[in-house]
Order: sequence, then C-alpha cells, then structure tokens
Amino acid sequence: MSAFTGITVDREALIANYGRVAEQVAPSGVIAVVKANGYGHGAAEAAQAFVDAGAEWLGVADIDEAVALRQAGIDEGVRILAWLHAPDEDFRRAARYGITPAVSSVSQLAAAADSEVPAVHICVDTGLSRNGAVESEWAELFATAGRIVRGGNRTRVEGLMSHLANSSRADDLDQDAALQRALDGLAANGIVPDMVHLAASAASIAVPETRRDVARVGLALYGLSPFADRTSADLGLRPAMRVTAAVLRTVPVRAGEGVSYGYTWRAETDTRLAVIGLGYADGFDRDFGNRVSVRIGDRTFPVVGRVAMNAMHVDIGDADVQVGDEAVLWGDPANGDPAVEEWAAAVGTINYEVVARVGRSVERRTT
Amino acid sequence: MNAPLRRAEIDLDAYRANLDLVREWMDPVELMAIMKADAYGHGLEPIALAAVDAGIRWIGVLTVPAALRLRSIGVSEDVHLFTWQHDPALDFRDAIDSAVDIGVSNVPELQRVIDAVDQRPARVHLGFDSGLHRDGATPETWPALVSLALDAQRAGRIEVVAAYTHLAESSDQDDTDAVALFDAAVERADDLGLDIPTEHVAASLAGLERKEFRKDMVRMGANLFGIPGADGVSAADLGLEPVMTLTASVAKTKRVPVDTGVSYDYTYRTTTETTLALVPVGYADGVPRLAQGRIEVAIAGKRYPIAGRVAMDQFLVDVGDADVRTGDAVVLFGTGEHDEMTVLEWGEALGTIGEEIVCRIGARVPREYQGHGVEGHVAEYLRGER
Repeated sequence: MSAFTGITVDREALIANYGRVAEQVAPSGVIAVVKANGYGHGAAEAAQAFVDAGAEWLGVADIDEAVALRQAGIDEGVRILAWLHAPDEDFRRAARYGITPAVSSVSQLAAAADSEVPAVHICVDTGLSRNGAVESEWAELFATAGRIVRGGNRTRVEGLMSHLANSSRADDLDQDAALQRALDGLAANGIVPDMVHLAASAASIAVPETRRDVARVGLALYGLSPFADRTSADLGLRPAMRVTAAVLRTVPVRAGEGVSYGYTWRAETDTRLAVIGLGYADGFDRDFGNRVSVRIGDRTFPVVGRVAMNAMHVDIGDADVQVGDEAVLWGDPANGDPAVEEWAAAVGTINYEVVARVGRSVERRTT
Repeated sequence: MNAPLRRAEIDLDAYRANLDLVREWMDPVELMAIMKADAYGHGLEPIALAAVDAGIRWIGVLTVPAALRLRSIGVSEDVHLFTWQHDPALDFRDAIDSAVDIGVSNVPELQRVIDAVDQRPARVHLGFDSGLHRDGATPETWPALVSLALDAQRAGRIEVVAAYTHLAESSDQDDTDAVALFDAAVERADDLGLDIPTEHVAASLAGLERKEFRKDMVRMGANLFGIPGADGVSAADLGLEPVMTLTASVAKTKRVPVDTGVSYDYTYRTTTETTLALVPVGYADGVPRLAQGRIEVAIAGKRYPIAGRVAMDQFLVDVGDADVRTGDAVVLFGTGEHDEMTVLEWGEALGTIGEEIVCRIGARVPREYQGHGVEGHVAEYLRGER
C-alpha cells in the first residue's frame, strides 16, 4: 500500500470553518471566497462544501472563475460575485450564467446595465488603491447608477463593496468612514444598497466594526489564520489542506556527500535519504530545501538540498522509512502535522501564498 | 474578447528554432527533448507535437501518465517517450503496451516492470545514481539491477534500451567524478554480460559545456524553452529565443494624490500625485510576493516597478504621468524585444532560476499558441482535431 501523493482536502473541516466564521460574524452574513482555485484547495469542491454549510454567496476574482463554478454544478440559487474584469468586458456571460459583477467605473456600470445582469455591486476604493473607483470618481459613478435605476433598467444596484488594506486598526476604520461617505453619496442618488461589504478574513475577526452586512471571507474558511501571532487553533479553525507524498525511494549517503542540484547540502554523517515526488513545478519553492521539515510516521525530518522540479529529498537518518510510506508536508498541527505557516515563514512569505501556489499538476482529492 | 486579463503566449516557432539550433550544436549526438512538468509550464501537448513535427525522435516526460497523454493524441511509437519517476503504486501495463520507455532505479521497481509484461517486452533504461541521489541504483545496488535486467532480457521480457544518470552540476570536478562513476557502472554491466546500446548523461548545462559528457544522447529542456542555465549567459548570447511571453491588460488606472498608500499594509506610498495602473496578475498566477521591489514590467516599451504588495490576483504599478490607459498591454516577461525583462532575468532577480518561474505560471493564465500556421500535428491538435 503506497501513500497518496497530492492534496487531501477535509470537507468536514471546510464545513466546520464556515460554521465557525458564520457564527462569529453574525448577524452579518458571509460571502465565501473561492478565487484562485479556492486558495489552492480546488474551487468547485470548496464551493460545494461551503454551500452545503449554508453559504448563499460565493466570491471570485474574475468571471472566468465564476463561470467555471456554474459549469461545475453550483446552481443559480447560489449567488456568485466577481470583481476583477477584463478591460472590454461586456458582462453578457455574467448575465447568462447568473453572475453578479462588482463594477468600479462608469463604463463597467453602463456595460453591465446593457447586458441586463439583474444586479450589480459597486466597488469603491477607500484606501487600498486597487480596483475600486477612487473618491474623485464617485459623484459621476453614483449619478450614473441613479439614472440607470430611475430609468427603469432591469439592473439594480444591490451592493456596495470596498477592500481593506489591513495596515492598522486606525487605517481600517478610516476606510470604513470613507465607505460611509460612499453610502451617503449613493443615498443622495436614491440608492440604498441591501448589501454593504468591506471586511475580509482579518478585519472580520480583528475589527468587528467593519463587518457591515456581510464579510467576504476566504483564508479563514480554509482553516488558516490571517494573523502572524494567532494560530488556526487560537481562532477555532481547522486547516483543511493536507499535502502528502509517497516515499519513492530511500538511499544511503556517506558523510561528505552532496545532495540534489548544486549540492547545497552535504551529509555530516553517514545517513539515509528519502526521495518524494513533489518539486517546484508542483508549487514547492526551490528555496524550501534546508529550511522545512516533513512528518513521516511520528517523527519530523528535514528537507535537504535544493528542491528540484519534481522531487525533494528528506534526511531520514536511521529511521525505519520504506518506499511507499507517507510523508506529510503540511496539514493540521492539531493532528501532529507540520503547519503550512512553517513553510511560509521559511521563505519569508504568508500562508495565503503557499497554499494558493500549489500547482495544478498536484492531484487533489476531498474526503 | 480582444484584451484578456492575462495570458502566456507560447511561440512554437521559437521552440522549433531552438530545437533546430540545439540539434545542430549536438550533431551527431541524439537529442532528447525534455518536457516534464507540463513542458515547463508551456503545455505538454502542443510543445510535444511541435517537436514531433520538427522530427524529434526522443521525448522525456518524467511520468508514465504524461507519456500516455502523448500516445493518446497520436504521438506514434516512432517517437520514444522516456519516463523515470514512478509512483510506487503505478501499474506498468499501459506503459509497456504503449511502448513507453521506462527508467528503473532499483531491483523492486524493475521486478514490477517485468511482472507487468504480457506480450511485448518492456523498454527499459537502467538508472544509475552518480551523486544526485534522486533516482538510479547506487554503485552497491547496480550489479543486482544489471543481473536482473540481463535475466529478463534473455527471457524476452524486457529490452534494455539504455543506461542513464543525472548530474548535480555542482562543480566541474563533481560532474567529472560522477561521469567516471557512471562509466565504471556501464563497464561493470558489460563485464556481467549486458550490452548497453545507448548512454545518456548530460542535460542542458553539461550538454552545452562538457562535450565529453554527451555520450549517445543529450537530454535538454530549459535551453529549448530559451532559458539557458550558465551564469551570465543570456538566451540571445546563444541564439536561443525565450518561448513564453507573459502579458496582461491594464485593468484600471487611477489618478491619486501624493502620499497615497498602495496595496496591503501600505508598504508603498506615492511621492507625488501620480497614476496607478492595476495589473490583474497576482501570486496565485505565478508572480511571487517576493517580486515587489525586484521586478519591473513593461508598458509601451517603458519599465515600471511593482508598487506595493503583490496580492493574490493583482498588483499595481506607479506610472507617474505616462499616458497609460485601461486595456494597455503589460509585458511581464518575454524575449526582451520590447524592453521587457526576460524570464532568465526574473529568475536572477528572485534568487531562483527561470525554470521555476515558467513552471509556476498558474492555471488561471491561458496559454495561447502562436507560430503554428504551418501544417502538421500541432496545427491539427490546436484546431481540436486530435
């Protein structure tokens, strides 16, 4: 019996995390964010788990991602919001697939109305400087929205959104105040949106004032913490992604011998190596070598030498490790698995990036 | 739609030109075109068919499932498909039936191959570990592997096609030592009565620089994608062309005042009133967070650094007072022709190698193939006829 090489996503953990987050932000609602292939977990499977847990809204970056969810069987009873659009997007696909666009400009709003999507959200920039409309553009944008609504167009302005910079609590509250100005501007044009949303994972936990009507939550739903100083367990969350690989081979090496390309690691004593078949092409940084550990059985062992395109080496010493044994790269620390945050810290980044960059070549299964 | 959010343009003409050039360099030594990891992120099927159209006889794809994908789109058995990393649970029957070349590293693995043989003999390459310690038999276990191969070949169960090793490219001396070990192993096989028809040892770097390591066949991947591996040598220096160009469309521009914080944590603040352009490519698409402060992108032939944190789906550039508009093309990396960085330069700037960059361009980035106007297998495939 040989171990599975790939990602195992714990559906029960996704469902439990959704419940935990929903309870925490209540009475605000939740938009479950499944962009970037569900933060690497598999968008369709993650989306289905959240829907089964009660999610009424899903969020993705672009319309391609939203269409893929519909094609994977997420029916139109579940709303899908998409907010990053190609320059000449005409929103006809959005209308056809029942996708709700968030629009950031007069031209996007007009195109969306022409496409007769039933609803749009308006996306404003309150400080992050990303894709929302900047405050100097609001007057024209809101006036256009007012004309569209009064003109008896089929499209209604259902929501108002912005995105926080998570720079500091004070900055986040400044952004919330800016969002209030946008709401007032819309009201002056006769529009009172049903859904105002600002906070994502971090602020929905740390700055409750920013929760508004709904929180757009991604990372926390996958059981990961957006904070450097609080773990998943601290937040009552369960990491849903477990990455495992079968040992392909064990090989003895003598003291002084080098390992993998460039021999960036040399054995200090006679030892044994296990080779596993995941490498940088699968999304595991070349730089992870000599900086992280994997779990095999009840022990952890260091990854040594440079991570190659499709393989990495583990120093197993004299441990009883056999071909086909399971190496756990990361999983839920509550079960004794290494934490993805250890991998992120090893290369100076955040858990978001590590999970989102696990490649499409890696097999994913849901339990 | 004319302006997609993001795309990777794959220039098949460039790939074929690189292939021709490298074959000329290696002549009369055979070339195995390496296409593991979905052809280094370029897309296995189109790259393989372009190579087949150009007359390639050997392709290396790492795994049996990848080789079977190529057989299923009509890559005929005239083209040898070499695989060398096998899941311990893999059943070799389909590989043997489809005449896929199987690299084996040890006695249990070879025994699994032999046990899977039904009618036709399995095509086997014997792997030798000369120091990289990734695959292949160690000097201690090599004689047993050879003996089993010899018996199985005599029994008509397998055909020993080749012996191979991978070099660590740590230093010239290390590689020299490794090849000496390999040569001794081949000699040992000969002593045991096993003739090794083909030897392959060198990959991209050693294949170029160490002529004496070319043996019967050289395995090359990165050079063919226009990503040379030697320090300080650009693709252009060698006459190679980068095959992948990563582009995006400006998704939005905005005029912002001085001291505007940009992206998460406000790690960048504008120093004057300026224009910000939103580039809809983020770390999930293969632009690492580490790229902030290290990578510049080209818009209309002018370079701009990334402003603020790279997010999951997007980043911003500060374009000053330049007339940059929504829909303008952004070139992240490419050939360098339009003043963009090359992927080799990305690798250097990010403390890695170009191969890691191209392999990790994400699934949300559609690959668009150019230069397939010529008739042939790849044109049929891209028209959906294969």
